Amino acid sequence: MKLALACLLARGHLLIEDLPGMGKTLLSHALARVLGLTYNRIQFTSDVLPSDIIGTAIFDRERGDFRFIEGPLFAQVVLADEINRATPKSQSALLEAMEERQVTAEGVTRPLPEPFFVIATQNPSTQTGTFPLPESQLDRFLMRIELGYPDPEAERELLRGGDRRQVLGRIEPVLDLEGLSHLQALVDEIKVSEPLIEYVQRLVAYSRRGADFAFGLSPRGSLALLQSARAWALLQDRSHVVPEDVQAVLPGVVEHRLREAADYTGHGGGALAQKLLTSVDVVG
Amino acid sequence: MASADATVRAPDAETAPAAAVGVAHQIPRNTLALLMVGQTAVILPYLQQLSIWIVAVGLFCGMWRTNIYLGRWDYPKRWVKAVLVAACIAGVALTGVGAFSLEAMASLLVSMFALKLIEMKNRRDAYVVIFLGYFAIAIQFLFEQQLLLALYQVGSFILVTAAMVSLNQLQVAARPLPSLKLAALLAAQAIPLTLVMFLLFPRMAPLWTVPLPGSSVTGLSDSVRPGDVANLTQSDELAFRVVVNGPMPPPSQRYWRGLVYSDFEDGGWKARERRRARDYPLPRSTDLEYEVLLEPTMQTWLYALEHSTSVHSNVYLTLDGRLESSDPIMSVFRYRAVRHDKPDSPAPISEQIRIRETTIDPEANPRLQALGRALIAEHGTPMAMTREILNRIRREPYAYTLSPPTYPGRDAFDGFWFEGRSGFCEHYASAYVYLMRSAGIPARLVGGYLGGEVNELSGHLMVRQYDAHAWAEFYDPELGWFRVDPTAAVAPQRVERGLSAALSSADLASLPLLSSARIGNWDLAGSVLRWMDSVEHRWNLWVVGYDSNVQYRLLGDLLGEVNAARIGIAILIGGGLGLGVVALVIFWGRRPVHRHPVERAFRGFSEALAAYGYVRRPEESPAAFVRRVADEVGLKEAQVGPLIAELDTLLYNPGVAWGGRELRALRSQLRRLQFRLAFGTTR
Repeated sequence: MKLALACLLARGHLLIEDLPGMGKTLLSHALARVLGLTYNRIQFTSDVLPSDIIGTAIFDRERGDFRFIEGPLFAQVVLADEINRATPKSQSALLEAMEERQVTAEGVTRPLPEPFFVIATQNPSTQTGTFPLPESQLDRFLMRIELGYPDPEAERELLRGGDRRQVLGRIEPVLDLEGLSHLQALVDEIKVSEPLIEYVQRLVAYSRRGADFAFGLSPRGSLALLQSARAWALLQDRSHVVPEDVQAVLPGVVEHRLREAADYTGHGGGALAQKLLTSVDVVG
Repeated sequence: MASADATVRAPDAETAPAAAVGVAHQIPRNTLALLMVGQTAVILPYLQQLSIWIVAVGLFCGMWRTNIYLGRWDYPKRWVKAVLVAACIAGVALTGVGAFSLEAMASLLVSMFALKLIEMKNRRDAYVVIFLGYFAIAIQFLFEQQLLLALYQVGSFILVTAAMVSLNQLQVAARPLPSLKLAALLAAQAIPLTLVMFLLFPRMAPLWTVPLPGSSVTGLSDSVRPGDVANLTQSDELAFRVVVNGPMPPPSQRYWRGLVYSDFEDGGWKARERRRARDYPLPRSTDLEYEVLLEPTMQTWLYALEHSTSVHSNVYLTLDGRLESSDPIMSVFRYRAVRHDKPDSPAPISEQIRIRETTIDPEANPRLQALGRALIAEHGTPMAMTREILNRIRREPYAYTLSPPTYPGRDAFDGFWFEGRSGFCEHYASAYVYLMRSAGIPARLVGGYLGGEVNELSGHLMVRQYDAHAWAEFYDPELGWFRVDPTAAVAPQRVERGLSAALSSADLASLPLLSSARIGNWDLAGSVLRWMDSVEHRWNLWVVGYDSNVQYRLLGDLLGEVNAARIGIAILIGGGLGLGVVALVIFWGRRPVHRHPVERAFRGFSEALAAYGYVRRPEESPAAFVRRVADEVGLKEAQVGPLIAELDTLLYNPGVAWGGRELRALRSQLRRLQFRLAFGTTR
């Protein structure tokens, strides 16, 4: 949860991955509500087309002209539910939107609203009927988090209470647009020292050199790591980043960006992140 | 696969089938390329010494190997190999350099080295080629020892080593550059030990006799006919270099005696005297000390100023007052010599020598004989007669030239003296000696070098082949052997300012390009050449000329007393130091870089703590580590809290400025904690 918040503060897109029924959609819903932003939800299925997401131009009879109808992408928070159920074609429609925060359709480039978050949920790709996200798309998500099974205490609470959707309706926005951008600006002010940058560099270098790694972290990956660590430090109410911040966000930031050299299918990210943590010395 | 060995593509039906040569034994492509380049580099310098067909063999083998690699040709069949080997042996025999000469052996080595390339199938074969390559590099130094060649051979050595390196690399290392770099690094790391071994390892006399390169060296020979010395001026090759201890004598004093031609035979002069001077001259006052670095001559005579002696163990004085070496000079030979003052009372010469030094062919050159007899009758003393002869040369239209007409027949000296009247130094000196001998005065022709050029850069004297000169000596009971240079009468510039001043422009134009540049026509080229010469001179002085004599002197200075035990200890210490330096350099290059002073201080702290059993995990930040350790020991928050905060601030909070004072405070806090922990565990 905290990680998800940190991700949004760091202006990154979030990918939530877990088995069905773990509360992914609920979490993303709740996040959008709390932040008090305009919100669209796209339910991806295998027959969703790019124009369904971006929008399309239709002929306006009254004006005798084509008019662009904005798709569900034009919102401050976009919940891309079950993103790996869509075909690669539709998935890639999100590519430009996520990185450049603009879309190009019918030869016209249109800016997306500010701020712009994509919260995507997906089932693990081993589940039937899924299309694994390409690396290029995965890299654009600042973090990928897993929810995991709730602890027994929380689960008991869950079982006692009623429908959680009702709770959702009671959630009041605690932040407005200004508050959010203020927080985001604060993230940028979190200070980073030389030894910490070197630590991040060592982590990245290890991932690029290590024999177990199919490929290393991209520069975007290292930037993402540092930015997330900043956001995490802000959430810890600290004015500077310490190695623990980096370590806290590291699994979420790097797991989906790494592949094992021995097993290219992409299920070793977690082990690799742990290896990074335990192998790279904090002190240079 | 690109790097697969050719065996896979072109299986040899006759010997091992492809499957039998496992991948582990194949020669990687990278190795093959490096090996072929290295082999070319190794064979190339042999072009100077060996006949050209051996290079053709090398090219042929290279082509064959390339075609094997490309899968077009097969490995040679057994009978083909036999034919090739036989052909090479026959070729060496037919080249006619002598069955057991060094050239023959080197030809055989190089041709077999080349042939091995097409026979090479697995790694073991490649190693054979590599070791042959090293051997061939070493053998080349039997022929030449110049600096340029040595540098070139270092390059070849690195290439061959790179081939060996690549042979031991994974197949994936298909690029030659990393192998080359590693080989160069290895060579560089070998330098200290090489230096130590070079300086200290005893120069042993060879256990067997190496056949020596044939004498194809330009230089004076032990017989001289008119025109021989003039031919030498066509060569700008270096004869020797001299380092003078003290002021350099003027050019007209620099008569480097090499040979004394006492015997007149068939219209030419011969030098035969090899006997040692029986009564070695007693030490007289020393006039000049100098050291000669003689280029290889393949001969035994040495060059020295008049009245010189040497204490070199291999050098002795001959009956006719020359220095001579016990062995032929095969590489740059370095000897010290001392010029003494002229003795007050000259030693008388034996009757036998008197006869030899006055012998002429009674039938040759009758007109000169008559003139000689007339002159002595007229002037009485040898000195007066000499003066008259020189005056005649000066007075009458005699000419000094590099290309005199040929004077054929038995009466050649007559033809020169009375008709042609133009000649080079040996013409004048020969005619003079003939005149004196006709008059019954002992006289002889002396060959050597005159003058030489001083290199201002290192102050040494360079004497080149074009400085070759011939002059004469006559014997007078009161003066002893007295030097007379008739060339000084016809061309005094030759003696005072060197060859270029004495030659006509036509003669100068006939010289080769480099010679004329050296003689001083081009300033820039001349200075470049002089610079190169001074480098080469130092190379000779310090490396090539470092023989057992010099080594013994140096070791004597270093160790006091030279014996096996001391040399052994010196090699051990020196070698240890050399290897130590390399090890230090390697470790220094691999040391972890702690750029941040706080990180450095903390690392020292955590490493010290590891000794007490508190091992920091890599992922533990300094603060977390200190907290864990404090918890384990049971220290209170107040005791470590400030330290943790300080560590956190100094390392990770760039917003707080700190300086040396804070750093020192942190260090002392760390030390205190370390001390406490150490104390706690021992208790």
